[in-house]
Amino acid sequence: MIYMFKVGVIGDKDSVLAFKALGVHVFTVSEGDEARKMVDTMARDNYGVIFITEQIASLIPDTVERYDKEIIPAVILIPSNQGTLDIGMRRINENVEKAVGSNIL
Amino acid sequence: MKVGKIIKVSGPLVVAEGMDEANVYDVVQVSDNRLVGEIIEMRGDRASIQVYEETTGIGPGDPVYTTGEPLSVELGPGLLEAMFDGIQRPLEEFRAKSGDFMTRGTKVYNLNREKKWDFKPSVKVGDFVDEGDVIGTVQETPLILHRVLVPIGVKGTVTGIEEGEFTVVEDICVLDGEKKLQMMQKWPVRKGRPYKKKLNPDVPLLTGQRVIDTFFPVAKGGTAAIPGPFGSGKTVVQHQLAKWADTEIVVYVGCGERGNEMTDVLMEFPEIIDPATGESLMKRTVLIANTSNMPVAAREASIYTGITLAEYFRDMGYSVAIMADSTSRWAEALREMSGRLEEMPGDEGYPAYLASRAAEFYERAGKVICKGSDNREGAITVIGAVSPPGGDISEPVSQATLRIVKVFWGLDHALSYKRHFPAINWLNSYTLYQTKMDQWMAANIDKDFAKNRAKAMSLLQEEASLQEIVRLVGRDSLSYEDQLKLEATKSIREDYLQQNAFHEIDTFCSHEKQNKMLKLVLEFYDLGMKALENGVYLKDIEKMPVREKIARSKYIDEAELDKIDEIIKELNESIEKLIQEGGILDA
Repeated sequence: MIYMFKVGVIGDKDSVLAFKALGVHVFTVSEGDEARKMVDTMARDNYGVIFITEQIASLIPDTVERYDKEIIPAVILIPSNQGTLDIGMRRINENVEKAVGSNIL
Repeated sequence: MKVGKIIKVSGPLVVAEGMDEANVYDVVQVSDNRLVGEIIEMRGDRASIQVYEETTGIGPGDPVYTTGEPLSVELGPGLLEAMFDGIQRPLEEFRAKSGDFMTRGTKVYNLNREKKWDFKPSVKVGDFVDEGDVIGTVQETPLILHRVLVPIGVKGTVTGIEEGEFTVVEDICVLDGEKKLQMMQKWPVRKGRPYKKKLNPDVPLLTGQRVIDTFFPVAKGGTAAIPGPFGSGKTVVQHQLAKWADTEIVVYVGCGERGNEMTDVLMEFPEIIDPATGESLMKRTVLIANTSNMPVAAREASIYTGITLAEYFRDMGYSVAIMADSTSRWAEALREMSGRLEEMPGDEGYPAYLASRAAEFYERAGKVICKGSDNREGAITVIGAVSPPGGDISEPVSQATLRIVKVFWGLDHALSYKRHFPAINWLNSYTLYQTKMDQWMAANIDKDFAKNRAKAMSLLQEEASLQEIVRLVGRDSLSYEDQLKLEATKSIREDYLQQNAFHEIDTFCSHEKQNKMLKLVLEFYDLGMKALENGVYLKDIEKMPVREKIARSKYIDEAELDKIDEIIKELNESIEKLIQEGGILDA
């Protein structure tokens, strides 16, 4: 049996609405507490990948960190329509450094 | 009796010849100053004598007078509240006679001969009394009723008994028309006083120190050792025990340690009021001082003097605690004498008989049925401090002590450096009374106490292994559960184990308070785990304002223990609230 996970995206309305076109579940939030609850609820609700805009993620570092240690869901940071804060890229670089010992990107 | 002649003087050791009438362990008087000494070895007519006073100015040819008696203490009213030297000479009277420092050859009686005591008989003419029976009582201090006992080896029918004010040497009772008894009796210090039967110690000694009472309790009638490096708080622990131990009598032997430590006792104890009786704690205390500047030979005797006094009070049916600080100085005194006797040295120069002497001393502890027809129960708890050089307990004195004692409170320099007091290391300390004490706790305090204690201890042990991981890879790499565990053990360490000896309330903690506090700190761990499972963030748990109250629970007055229950309730509510707000509730 193939186990099916869902894919969701969290962010401000302007940034994430377009994801709907891809069939991704879209959740719009505007502040930290709301986002935190949203991520936690989605994690319980069988979401395998959660995209989250950097602007929102910067409000809830604890929550992002919490899922770092878990395989599912993968919390992935994306830039928003206001541009990037470079958190997402930095996290990837850090993970690469941890994995291979030096930054090869 | 024949008078001997000195042929050699080596510090406190004097060798005299012409002593063929004397026996080993007899007390002798050395030179015309009449210094007190004790024979510790006989070879032919040559006696080796340890002298309990300065031997400066004594030389070959000086006389030695034998008394034909072993070194004895005088037992009777007048012991309490007093301070004696190693051979039971009262220091207060010494001072009146010869000033602040001891002068050689000063003759003072061990017990005050002039003071009159109000004697109330408890037997009538015609009664038959056996050895150890109570013939009357003296209210020695408001706390302690001194029971006057028939000396060991004496029995008979009372043919005369007095009532009223008497000194300790006046006759108060006549047996069979010929044996006259006084309030005072003598007993040789090196011989344990007899008892009817030894019992198994099964009641814990309440010391008011949480780490001791909860994790490493000592039984009444048990033995404990406190080894620890310099400055780790041995003396403070000993003082705390002397102050708060729930025994009726405390004998404190200051053996070879600093004089100001005895001064502390003299200054502090009279001010501390026993909550149960409203009287000063000094009124149940006997002090024996042989500080580091006093003659070394008397140090060897001070331990025996102390335990003999303790046995005397035990025989009255009291529970007695004797603190010896420090037995290492006593062992060093043995070593010094042994060296001068030119005996074959054992480990580190200590005499080969060190272990048997230490055992002899500790074996005089115990809970017993005393001599006497009323089957009184008495107990002696011995608590000895050991000062291993460098804090390394693999040295002979610590090892000899640990072989005998059943409780080990290991003081740790690292803990005292971190200002964690009492610095008793919970990982290497132990008690062999645990099962018995758990049973008592279950019957008298709370049936869950043993379970909680075991749980707290296993958390502390897990913490030690987690700390190793933290040192290697940092705290953040631990799972949230483990991080909470660290947080909870920090609470056990700081809020429960640490105890301020100089805080008015925190200095003493009853069993009930310990039980509640232990429940409180464990509740934090249990509820925290439950919250984590429900998706609450660790940071939110750590930030709960109620934690401040947990940390301050040790300062709650004994009369207001309900407040701890309130904190437990508040903790439950806070966690419940966190789960409602921040947690992910199962749909």
